[in-house]
Amino acid sequence: MTAPAIEVRGLVKTFRTTRALDGLDLTVAHGEVHGFLGPNGAGKSTTIRILLGLMRADSGRAAVLGRDAWSDAVALHRRLAYVPGDVELWPNLTGGEAIDLLGRLHGGQDRARRDELVRRFELDTAKKGRTYSKGNRQKVALVAALSSGADLLVLDEPTSGLDPLMEAVFQEVVGEAKAAGQTVLLSSHILAQVEKLADRISIIRKGAVVQSGTLSELRHLTRTTVEAATATPATGIDTLPGVRDAEADGRHVRFTVDSEHLDGAIKHLGGFGIQALTSHPPTLEELMLRHYGDGDAA
Amino acid sequence: MSTIAPARGGTAPATAGDGPLTGTAALLGLALRRDRLKLPLWITGIAVFVPYFYTVLSVSGSQPGGMRAFAGLVDSPMVLVFTGPLFGFDEITLQRAFLTYTIEFLLGAALMNILLVTRHTRGEEQTGRAELVRAGVIGRHAPLTAALVLALAADAVLGLLMAGAMAGLGFPASSALLFGAGTAATGLVFAGITAFTVQLTEHTKGAAGLAALALAAAWTLRAAGAAQAVEGGPWTWLSPLGWAQLTRVLADERWWPLALSLGLAAAAAAGGYALSARRDLGARLMAQRPGPTSAGPRLRSPFALALRLQRASLLWWAAGMVVVGFVWGSLAGAMRQGMAEAIIGGGEDPALAYLSLMAVFMTVIVGAFTILSAGRLRTEEVRGRAAPVLARPVGRSAWFAAFLATAASGSVGLLALTGLATGAGAALAIGDGALVGELLAASLARAPEPLLLAGLAAALYGFAPRWGWAAWAVLGFGCIARFWGESLHWPGWLMAVSPFNHIPRMPLEGFAPGPVLALAALAAALAALGLYGYSRRDLDG
Repeated sequence: MTAPAIEVRGLVKTFRTTRALDGLDLTVAHGEVHGFLGPNGAGKSTTIRILLGLMRADSGRAAVLGRDAWSDAVALHRRLAYVPGDVELWPNLTGGEAIDLLGRLHGGQDRARRDELVRRFELDTAKKGRTYSKGNRQKVALVAALSSGADLLVLDEPTSGLDPLMEAVFQEVVGEAKAAGQTVLLSSHILAQVEKLADRISIIRKGAVVQSGTLSELRHLTRTTVEAATATPATGIDTLPGVRDAEADGRHVRFTVDSEHLDGAIKHLGGFGIQALTSHPPTLEELMLRHYGDGDAA
Repeated sequence: MSTIAPARGGTAPATAGDGPLTGTAALLGLALRRDRLKLPLWITGIAVFVPYFYTVLSVSGSQPGGMRAFAGLVDSPMVLVFTGPLFGFDEITLQRAFLTYTIEFLLGAALMNILLVTRHTRGEEQTGRAELVRAGVIGRHAPLTAALVLALAADAVLGLLMAGAMAGLGFPASSALLFGAGTAATGLVFAGITAFTVQLTEHTKGAAGLAALALAAAWTLRAAGAAQAVEGGPWTWLSPLGWAQLTRVLADERWWPLALSLGLAAAAAAGGYALSARRDLGARLMAQRPGPTSAGPRLRSPFALALRLQRASLLWWAAGMVVVGFVWGSLAGAMRQGMAEAIIGGGEDPALAYLSLMAVFMTVIVGAFTILSAGRLRTEEVRGRAAPVLARPVGRSAWFAAFLATAASGSVGLLALTGLATGAGAALAIGDGALVGELLAASLARAPEPLLLAGLAAALYGFAPRWGWAAWAVLGFGCIARFWGESLHWPGWLMAVSPFNHIPRMPLEGFAPGPVLALAALAAALAALGLYGYSRRDLDG
């Protein structure tokens, strides 16, 4: 276990006048689920295409499973599987044919696992590609990738077309892949999704990784926003441990709090008679705004 | 394979034989699966014309004076422009007369190859499927190689099928094989050229368009060479469409001109490989200018949108038609001299007969624009781009009318430009300035023909949107009826079905308002019918 599953150093890629990647570093260890988080246009898909050897970086180094992503692409693809965010299928091939074809192009497929995943994702494999919705096309690519037994799964916003039930199936299946020792690179622009699955997270913005670490290392990022209406005006919120950004307006109060101090904050609010309460985890946009002072990145 | 245990850690094991071509066989299998209907249809669709043309010819040849008429073909520069170079026509036989159809087979093979290679290379990249495929164990050059191998196989099957059919009709086996090989080699040239053009543009349309431009250039060079001499002048040797005929099938045969075809095919394909190695997947090599960051003041109606969407394609069509019109118009000069007998036009002024035929021919080409342009309605619908517009206060009839008006006005505009360009070419070649106006009038008088196609496309779109291809069938039928119907002895009622057989052939014949108005009225009625159907049916996509 010498080299990491993915090791990227100083990646630069320019499209004519746009600098898509600007010295990007990324390390993914073997056997982990790594969340690759960033707003649209931050460079997630460009990074992934370089990792797949479909694009060549202007400078920098991209190693996958210890080998060069560009020059050893074909050999590497025996050991990785990929699901793009926008899956297109061949109009006159059925979903089942497409799954098997993609499995063969990868170099092998676990037939039993394939059938099981088709069942769990409730995919009708007898329909032609042209009749599938976006979500069903994505299921085809997911089944093909997840039944390939690849060491590394590269998933680029793989659930953008799935409904919440299928999203839950997807989370189970990724958990199983992790338990089987597969490494997963999961790109997304939704923090909550990555949070549930990822061991470690890298946040990318404007072509560079701005934050990388385990969930507990990034604990300060996972602050909960609380809005409440109380019977009497709540006081003393801003002095509570872990609370920040408190704003009070009569009987309405709004603040953010570290997850570990949430309990204390709610108990404190209880003393004023809670009449309405909403809370939500920070969105990516809020994170970007708060930590990098740059809302327009989202 | 029941279980695949992921081998964890360390570096990936080197697998012997992994290279840029790994996976070609798998992709070839995929391509065959995708084309299992399309390709056999193309191949038999071309090859079936071997027995068809030959049978029809033997009917004409058996009539009194029939064979003498064949021998006279080479006396007409106009016939040569469309069929030359020709060999051995001083001792005419039925089999040699069949060779006047060679160009049709070469064009068919070229189109098959252009569309095939585009479909399996740039088409896959454009849709994003190539990304999914190339993430598998697929070498960098495997997709292009699979497409070219498929083209090679299709050409080989086509050539053998044609040779077999000819041998069955009594042609000497070696001549039949040479004819089939010439068609296959010409197809391969355009497979190679397309392998090059697909590297240049981001979309299949542009790539196929560039290859078609090369095909048009080859046709024009060959036509110019054929006008120089019966057996082909120097220009013929510069045209990939000329080489197959320069093998002199059935007259002092030689195989070596086909080496030129194979050489050009290989060189163009090699250029394609070299370019493809220098670019990222999905990227193009031709630069794209940045567009405007906000909409111009006039982009505010469905009609403005329809026009804006087709602006680039209209400009390309206009440029192409002007060039083609001018070149073909200027060939009228060659018709003046040394014509014993005009085969088409029967005895009248050969230059005017030629120009009136050109007016019909170019109207048919404009008809292709008309159908493509009217077809945008369907594209906008199935791609889901119509719905967001129709969800705004834009009525269906306004949307429908906008695209139809674009198709109609674009077609009429193209006809006017084509007429002017043809007239200018002819006027310069013959030295008669009046021809400009005459050709403009001749061209515009034919406007109801493409308008009828637009009306037909609209009616199909309104009632049977999945049958949009039927408009192409009518255009194809009209084209065949107009140019071959007479020599194929089609009955009068069958000829009358074609929309291209009613308007007088100006400037050879005089203007007649009757058929012009009748076709225009029919076109308007069909369009109204289409609107009625469209405003009542469900939207797809």
